[in-house]
Amino acid sequence: MVKMYVFIILFTLLQLGANAQAVPNIKLTTLAGANFQTQQLNEIVGKPVVLSFWATWCIPCLNELTAINDNLDEWKKESKFDFFAVSEDDSRTVKRVPALVNGKGWAFNVLLDKNQDLKRELNLMNIPYTMVIKNGKIIYRQAGYVAGNENELYKIIKENQ
Amino acid sequence: MILKKLLFVALVLFSINVKAQLTGGIESNSALYIDDDKIKLEQIEARQRLRSNNYLRLDYKLKNFTVGAQIEGYEPKALLNYSPNLNKTNLGTYYVKYKNDKLGLEATAGHFYEQFGSGMVLRTWEDRQLGIANSIAGGMVKYSPLESIHFTALYGKQRNGLGFYFTDGTIAGLNTDVELSSLLKTKKVKFGIGLSYVNRNEQKQVFEGLKKNTYLTSVRADFSVGAFTADVEYAFKSKDALVEFNNIRPELQFDGDAYLLNLGYTKNGFGVTANFRRLENFGFYSQRKSAGNVYNEAILNYVPALTKQYDYSLTNIYVYAAQPNIGFEPNRNKAGEIGGQLGLFYQFKKETPLGGKYGTNVSINYAQWHGLKGRYDAAQRKYAAEKITFGQKYYRDASVEIRKKWNKKWSSVFTYLNQFYNARYVEEASGQVNTNTLVFDNTLRLKKSASIRLELQHQWADAGFKNWVASQLEYNFNAVWSVFVFDLYNYGNSIAADRLHYYNVGASFNKGAYRVQAGYGRQRGGLICVGGVCRFVPQSAGVNLGMNYSF
Repeated sequence: MVKMYVFIILFTLLQLGANAQAVPNIKLTTLAGANFQTQQLNEIVGKPVVLSFWATWCIPCLNELTAINDNLDEWKKESKFDFFAVSEDDSRTVKRVPALVNGKGWAFNVLLDKNQDLKRELNLMNIPYTMVIKNGKIIYRQAGYVAGNENELYKIIKENQ
Repeated sequence: MILKKLLFVALVLFSINVKAQLTGGIESNSALYIDDDKIKLEQIEARQRLRSNNYLRLDYKLKNFTVGAQIEGYEPKALLNYSPNLNKTNLGTYYVKYKNDKLGLEATAGHFYEQFGSGMVLRTWEDRQLGIANSIAGGMVKYSPLESIHFTALYGKQRNGLGFYFTDGTIAGLNTDVELSSLLKTKKVKFGIGLSYVNRNEQKQVFEGLKKNTYLTSVRADFSVGAFTADVEYAFKSKDALVEFNNIRPELQFDGDAYLLNLGYTKNGFGVTANFRRLENFGFYSQRKSAGNVYNEAILNYVPALTKQYDYSLTNIYVYAAQPNIGFEPNRNKAGEIGGQLGLFYQFKKETPLGGKYGTNVSINYAQWHGLKGRYDAAQRKYAAEKITFGQKYYRDASVEIRKKWNKKWSSVFTYLNQFYNARYVEEASGQVNTNTLVFDNTLRLKKSASIRLELQHQWADAGFKNWVASQLEYNFNAVWSVFVFDLYNYGNSIAADRLHYYNVGASFNKGAYRVQAGYGRQRGGLICVGGVCRFVPQSAGVNLGMNYSF
C-alpha cells in the first residue's frame, strides 16, 4: 500500500514538475565575502544564467569547470550569458576555494553555499550538477559530467539568446 | 496513515493556486547482496539480502510560506551498516517556513538545518551516504535588521531516526554575525565578528553532581585586505561527563576548547591557504549517551578533519578523521588534536616552458596532525594537556596534483600522495602505515560527444593492507549513456586469502535531472568518508541500483 501511495504522489509530481521552477531565494556568499541573494538570479532578464554546482574535492566538477573555463572567452564573444560556479564546500574545505579559483585562473563568478542550503532546496543529490535559468525559470538541468557535456550546455545557451 | 494524510494535504494544496510552486526530489539506492566464493554476508545480515534506502522530498511554496516534508523508506531494511533507527517508511522531516525578505525575517516551525560560524559549536545537515540526518525540530527565527547584521535564535530537539523520535537533550542556540566594515563603510579593509551560544539541557538521565545544562560558545573574527584574508575563532565547551563505551561517568568531568586560524593569499594564477587548529575535548552530541557512537547519530557540532579530501579510490584507504575526544587507555591516551594544513595552487601560463600550449595547473598540499602533549594518568582518568606542544603524530600527508591538457583531445590529471597514518590512535586499531600512491587519470575525447576515461592507480604501503593496484575504464557514448569497469586488487596483502579483486561493472544514464546507475561487483570494506566524517561499511558483493530525480 505504502508503495502505491508513493507511486501516486510521484506520478502527480512528475506531471507538475513540467512547470518550470524558479531558484529559491537563499543567502550565499561571494568570494569577496559579500552577501549574495539568489533572487538576483531570477531577476536577470533576456539572457541565460548558468549555475554549475561543484566542490574543491570533486574531480568531475573540476574537469567540467576547467573545460568551461577553456571555452569561456570564445563563448562570451558569440553569446550573452552569465555564469556562476556555486561551491558546495563546507567548512572543512571552503577556505581552499579562493586559493583554488585564483590558482586555476578561473574567470567566472564563484558563490559559496557553505551549509548546502541552496543545494538542499533545489533537491540536488549529487554534484556536479548544472542548470540554466532564463527569465526566472529553470529551463535546463544536467546531473553529472562527462567530457563533452559542456558542448550540450553551450547549445542550450545559444538556443536561448 | 501518515502517507495517506500527506497525500490528501498535497492534493488540496495543488488545487489551491496555480501561482504556487511545487518542487521536490526522489532518491533511491538499492542493493541485492549476493555471496560469491570469497565475500559473504555475516549470518545476521544474510536474512535480508535485498535492501533499499529511499527518499522523497517535497516543498510547496505559496507567497511567503513554504511547507515541506521528507518521507524516507528503508524497505525492507536499510543498506548495510546504517543505524537501526533508520527502519521502514515514515516521515523524516517536516516544516513550515515564513520568509519575508523585505523585513529581513525568516521563521521556521518544524525541522531545520543550520550552521553557526564554521560549525564548531553547531551544525545540522544531511548526508545520505553517511546516514547523517541530524536536523533540529522546533522553532528557528532569523532576523537581519540591516544587510550587514544577522541574528538567529533556535530551540528544539534533534532528530533521531524516523517519525517523531528525538534525542534526549533540548537544544537552545543564539547566533550573531556583524559585518562591521559594511557598517563603517570602509572600502579597502573588510572585517566582521560573530558570536554563538548553544545550550543542551538534558533531563532524562540525572546524575548527582552533574549539571543538566552543558553549553558551547564561540567568538570569531574575520579580516581581509586586498589579496590577503584571515579569520580566527575560539570556542569553549563547559564541563561535561566523560562517556566511556556508552557509560556516563558523572564523577569524571572535563571542559573543552578549540582554536582555529585560517590564512589565505590569492592573486590571479596563484593561491595559498593555511589552516591551524587545536581541539581539546570538543566532540558534542545532543544526548550524552551517544558520545562517540559509530552511526554518527546525535552529532551537534562539526569538527571535520582539516586535510585535503581526495577523490580516487586508493587515495581513500587511509583517511584521517579529526580526533576531538578524550580517551584513556594505557599507551593510547587522547584528549584532542593539534596541527595544520597548507595548500598551494599555481597556474603555469600558456606558451611558457612549463605551461606548454594550454597551460599547466599544479596544486600542492601538506597536512600534519598530532595528539595533545601532556601528562596522562589512565588509571585515575586524569590529564593535563599543554597548549601549543605537539604530542604523538597521528597523521601526515603531502600531495602534488598536476592537471595538463596535452592537445584538443587528451587531458590528464596526475596525483602523487605520500601519507603517514597512525591507525593505533586514529582508528583505535593497531600499527602505523606509510604509503605512496600514484594516480594517472586520462580523458580522451572522441568524435561527436563520446569520450574515454582511463584511471591507473598504484599504492605502496609498508603495513596495513600493503600494496594495491587499481584501474578504471569508462566509456561515455554521449552525455546520456556511460559504461564502466573497475578493479581494485590488494595483491600485496600479507594474508594470501585476503589478496582480493574488488571488481565492478556498470552503466549510468544521465538525462536532464534524471540519473540512474546500475552495477555488479564487490565493495571494499572500510570507511566511507565525506567531509571528514566517516561511516564504516563491511565488504560485500552483489548488484546495486541508484536512481535520482529532482524537479
